[in-house]
Amino acid sequence: MKRQLFVLFAILIVASLILAACPGKKAETGPIKIGAIFDFTGPTSDVGTPYGHGIQGYVEWLNSKGGINGRKIDLLYQDYAYKVPQAEQLYTQFVQEGVVAFMGWGTGDTEALRTKIAEDKIPFMSASYSHVLGDPKEAPYNFLVGTTYSDQFFIVMDWILEDWQAKGNSGKPKVAFMHHPSPFGLSPWEQGGKDYAAKLGVEAKAFEMPKGVTDFIPQLSQIRDFGAKYVVFQTVSSPAALALKNAKSLGMDDVTFVCLNWCADENLIRQGGDAAEGAIGAFPFTPPTMDVPGMKDAREFLKGKGTTLEEKGVHYIQAWWTMATMVEGIRKTLDAGKELNGENIKASLEALKDFDTGGVTVPITFTPTDHRGSKGMRLFKVEGGKWVQLTDFRYVK
Amino acid sequence: MECGVFFTNYKADMALRRKPIQKIRLGIFIAFVIIFPFFASPYWLNLANQIALATIGAIGLNILVGYTGQISLGQGAFMAVGAYGSGLLTARLGVPFWMSIPIAAFLAAAVGVLFGLPSLRLKGLYLAIATLAAQEIVEWVVVHWTSVTGGVEALVVPSPKLFGLRLNTDFRFYWIAVILAGLTALFTANLFRSRVGRAFIAIRDQDIAAEVIGVNVYWYKLLAFATSSFFVGLTGALTAHYRTIISWERFTLDTSILYLAMIIIGGLGTINGSFFGAAFMTLLPAFINNLGRSLQGSFPAMATMLPAFQQAIFGLVIILFLVIEPEGLAKLWRNIKDYFYVWPFSY
Repeated sequence: MKRQLFVLFAILIVASLILAACPGKKAETGPIKIGAIFDFTGPTSDVGTPYGHGIQGYVEWLNSKGGINGRKIDLLYQDYAYKVPQAEQLYTQFVQEGVVAFMGWGTGDTEALRTKIAEDKIPFMSASYSHVLGDPKEAPYNFLVGTTYSDQFFIVMDWILEDWQAKGNSGKPKVAFMHHPSPFGLSPWEQGGKDYAAKLGVEAKAFEMPKGVTDFIPQLSQIRDFGAKYVVFQTVSSPAALALKNAKSLGMDDVTFVCLNWCADENLIRQGGDAAEGAIGAFPFTPPTMDVPGMKDAREFLKGKGTTLEEKGVHYIQAWWTMATMVEGIRKTLDAGKELNGENIKASLEALKDFDTGGVTVPITFTPTDHRGSKGMRLFKVEGGKWVQLTDFRYVK
Repeated sequence: MECGVFFTNYKADMALRRKPIQKIRLGIFIAFVIIFPFFASPYWLNLANQIALATIGAIGLNILVGYTGQISLGQGAFMAVGAYGSGLLTARLGVPFWMSIPIAAFLAAAVGVLFGLPSLRLKGLYLAIATLAAQEIVEWVVVHWTSVTGGVEALVVPSPKLFGLRLNTDFRFYWIAVILAGLTALFTANLFRSRVGRAFIAIRDQDIAAEVIGVNVYWYKLLAFATSSFFVGLTGALTAHYRTIISWERFTLDTSILYLAMIIIGGLGTINGSFFGAAFMTLLPAFINNLGRSLQGSFPAMATMLPAFQQAIFGLVIILFLVIEPEGLAKLWRNIKDYFYVWPFSY
């Protein structure tokens, strides 16, 4: 009896392995399925909502224009509330339903899915710009449209030195790096930032912004004692706005605050109020306060929806062009007459050279050895409650 | 209510499954578990693996909370010890996963004992806060001990290999997860038929009385922490090899609370309750997600709101269980069985 059971069991296993080995056939004419997860209700929903709407908006706009070579995009999406297990569940489900590419959101899900997407060969773009994700050896199927956090930090450090000298000072200023207590927060510091500061001969020090505190007075006092004249934030808008308010109450008027991309947005001004005046922001994606040709389609689309790009903010246009870059990869795959699968889309993306985003970002280029799409960004400054352009595109040296 | 069950020898009386109906049920369940992966889609296999892994952790936690009556908020931490222990051994030192998993589970047990020490002096809410400290300390160590854990960067674990076969699909990993979950259940069922298990229960019911009748309360409390953390660590270690990438964000206080919710909903002090709770807490969000997606076309407003309700639904379910059936899903299952046991003459 036991033996028979064992034989039956063995047959079942062999049969399933054979079945699993047969690849399913994919439709060559139907809609193109792309998976996406958004944070509409979780801890990052303040920025996740406009980002998600940007992806959805682009797809709706593209489909209304006839899609990619006549094929519509079927966006499979769901809110995952920044929960990693949810992201994994949804990812598995969407892949099973036949998506050829995937749009993620935060550091948590991007990191958690990194090995899985490589195994499944699904090109992946998200709003997490950790430097390591741009290295195909580490993350072969991740593509970064935004400037990496580390590159942003390098560019900001270069600007700080220039600004310091332009203000008529000699020597080099001390720089404090205030960061979110997470992989996202430490990413630019650990992935090259620390070493870059040392290379420039700038004395720099990292300060963690603990979660759940009501003010950052202790950290800012330490920074004042340290003597930093510049503070670089790698966090989201609300803690950065709080820190700016605290700094104002401490009278740190001689210190310049610089936000990397996730706190450089409209929320910082809304929440920081007066205290945000004079703050510098790193913008890999151009905010709507500056009009560039790449915003035309989004503006018209939103007008039809009864809203404006100003209302949606910079994260909307960020998502719009991230999605557009992925679509460009798919379009190139179709144009080349190749089968639409993850491997071919990856190859098409890796051949993407100087993809023009109409001035929203620097032209996007991917190569087989480098998945960091853009290596430049503009700096903006808060003046009169608005982000005003301070520099043109600056690049990593 | 069991009646009409007579045994003619001690062996039958001591059996784990004493009635033919129990054996049949178990047989059907095992048959289902074996056949399931051959028909299930990868999505369902993924859910099944999550349930199997969560079951191990929930049983582990139940040993401590449900059976021994010691509250703990440190599961996330013990899971992190298991995951990082096993992940690092495999990724950095090349230890095969079948060796690194038990090593990591024992490591988690040791850490569990360390943070279980306050239980010798503390009870109830005080112990909850002491174990909360464990959670925070371990999390801090994982993030800041950069030279070993890699700090905030995710740790990539090579996918496990067994007899030259890469266990990189849900289907292949399913067997490991299910077999270990089964062994965990079997071990625990037998544990509470032994002296050790009964000592745990005596401590839960009345620690002073337990001490009076000769149970070494200190020793058994620490043993409960060790056993519990072993299985929680096992879940962590398996998670590391299943997901092939881990970061500290997976093992936060949320995880600890999720597992507590699992055993409360499933049923404190029951093994099948741990499984029911694990399945419920895994399937509920999946169900809500799919409900939300199916409403995207017809009721877009409803679809966007549903995930936001998820936490509220979790909370509501816990309140409802505590009020209506404090003994959880396991008791509901027992009620169903009892109903059919005397059916159709239920008077």
